[in-house]
Amino acid sequence: MHAGRTFEQQERSFALALLVPALAVLVVTTTAPLVYLGWSSLHRIDLGMPWLSGFAGADNFAKMGSDPRFWNSLLLTAIYTATTVVLQVAVGLALALLVLQIPKGQGLLRVAAILPIVLAPVVVGLFWRTLVLAPDVGLVDMVTRALGLGSHNWLGDPQLALISVIAIHTWQWTPFAFLVLLATLSTLPPDVYEAARLDRADAWQRFRHLTLPLIRPAVVMVVILRTMTALSAFAAIFAATGGGPGSATEILNLYAYRTSFSELNLGYGASLAVVLLAITMAISYAMFRLRRARR
Amino acid sequence: MTTIAAPPRSGRTVALYALAGAVLAVWAFPVVWGLLTSFKTERDVLAYPPVWIFTPTLVNYRDVLFGASSIVPNLFSSLVVASFATALTLVFGIPAAYAMARLRFPAKRTAGFYVLATQMLPPVGLIIPYYLALQKVGGLDTYAGLVVIDLTFSLPFAIWLLVSYFEDVPVEMEEAALLDRAGRLRALWHVILPQVRGGIAVTTIFVFLNAWNEFMFAVVLGGNRVRPVTVAMFNFISVEQTQWARLAAGAMLAMAPVILLGLFAQRHIVKGLTVGAVKGGGRR
Repeated sequence: MHAGRTFEQQERSFALALLVPALAVLVVTTTAPLVYLGWSSLHRIDLGMPWLSGFAGADNFAKMGSDPRFWNSLLLTAIYTATTVVLQVAVGLALALLVLQIPKGQGLLRVAAILPIVLAPVVVGLFWRTLVLAPDVGLVDMVTRALGLGSHNWLGDPQLALISVIAIHTWQWTPFAFLVLLATLSTLPPDVYEAARLDRADAWQRFRHLTLPLIRPAVVMVVILRTMTALSAFAAIFAATGGGPGSATEILNLYAYRTSFSELNLGYGASLAVVLLAITMAISYAMFRLRRARR
Repeated sequence: MTTIAAPPRSGRTVALYALAGAVLAVWAFPVVWGLLTSFKTERDVLAYPPVWIFTPTLVNYRDVLFGASSIVPNLFSSLVVASFATALTLVFGIPAAYAMARLRFPAKRTAGFYVLATQMLPPVGLIIPYYLALQKVGGLDTYAGLVVIDLTFSLPFAIWLLVSYFEDVPVEMEEAALLDRAGRLRALWHVILPQVRGGIAVTTIFVFLNAWNEFMFAVVLGGNRVRPVTVAMFNFISVEQTQWARLAAGAMLAMAPVILLGLFAQRHIVKGLTVGAVKGGGRR
């Protein structure tokens, strides 16, 4: 008994020796900056007018209430996140179900799916801005012109710009949903399907009552991860539209960035980042709770 | 997987292949088109209808590598930042992951949840305090600043990914080593680590890839001296004009490393992309 306890103590101190350095790094590099972020959000920090800097209490947060650009960014964040996540999961799942039925060549698609994922989002944004969506020269514009639909300013028109950045995000990350769901579908036991087929269940019924419940955990996981990415999407939008035209594609993340580093109003920027942080935490908490409850 | 499919009919199979081909084209298109564009003259780029067959030129690559707006210094910046970030991530991440995967200690669950939570922080929430702090101590436009902030996303990710590899090592191997009175650290170094070499390699690739691709931190904390290649892509775009072919050549050079690494690690990508969520669902 005595020997067992020393063994346990030894294990414990060894574990702490291994773990504490990494945890210390995380506390210093993530938690401390967040405390500083919270502190900054209570201050006026305007690098353009530094003499006005000082403690501001909750002023920054009060200001949001009457800031139409803030409410616009919240709305855009909701639209951007919801549409990109739904599109990725729907398209990714549909493709995975179809590709699963291809006898040969699945491997080639798996490889192609990796290309968008590994590219830097900023490069993806620039590629789309130039080679794909630029008026006259971009491929999409060439197609619409060839079809007689005319040339459009895909990133210069407010509504088209929002659709375009949603399309860019969906293009880059649908392969993720596709790969994860394809991997999950590939592991499902085939005998269940045999039984269902003998029961004369049609394709939709098999999907609805067999496949979907089996892959539900994977779908939920994809939704969680994709939501997190969409909420902090930045580089592709920055490269494609910079948040514009005007503030047509300025999701909250971009608004916080532009306020801080274009307008140099870091205090207000910090308070916007705090709101984004709170939203991210609330959504991830709700989703993890939901997932645990369903299990 | 044909067991799941209905008995094959030829018309259906043809339609499926057509669809697969279309998807393949859509995903591969920007890279393929970018590659073609990088070998075109500016005049060929602007041709309508687009030209598929043209006399390839290396002039864009020459400009991008050796010209006035050479991206070689930027590639070097990216290499330095990504390498140091990766090395530090492994130094801190490997021991921590082993402890999380294998050892018993108090508040283990809390520690795991903390690591997971740090992974979900929106980057804009970190960049503002980093900018303010580094500005005060003269840390803007330094390698140290960028390397440290890259740890905020690479370390939590690496810990969770490595935990999954450590868990695959048979417990018996470890027990045998400990019974040999080999000391815990020696057992970890000589017995366990060789078993997770593959996992460490995969982790290295993903951490490097993410650090290489990082943009927001680089554009804010970088400057004239430390200017990673993701930021340098904007050299070729200005309000007045876009240097289409040079941008394409620059992007090809900047993305060649990550495309190669991604293809090399392709079988592990699904694991790498989902690791935090699989573990973090509250199962432990």
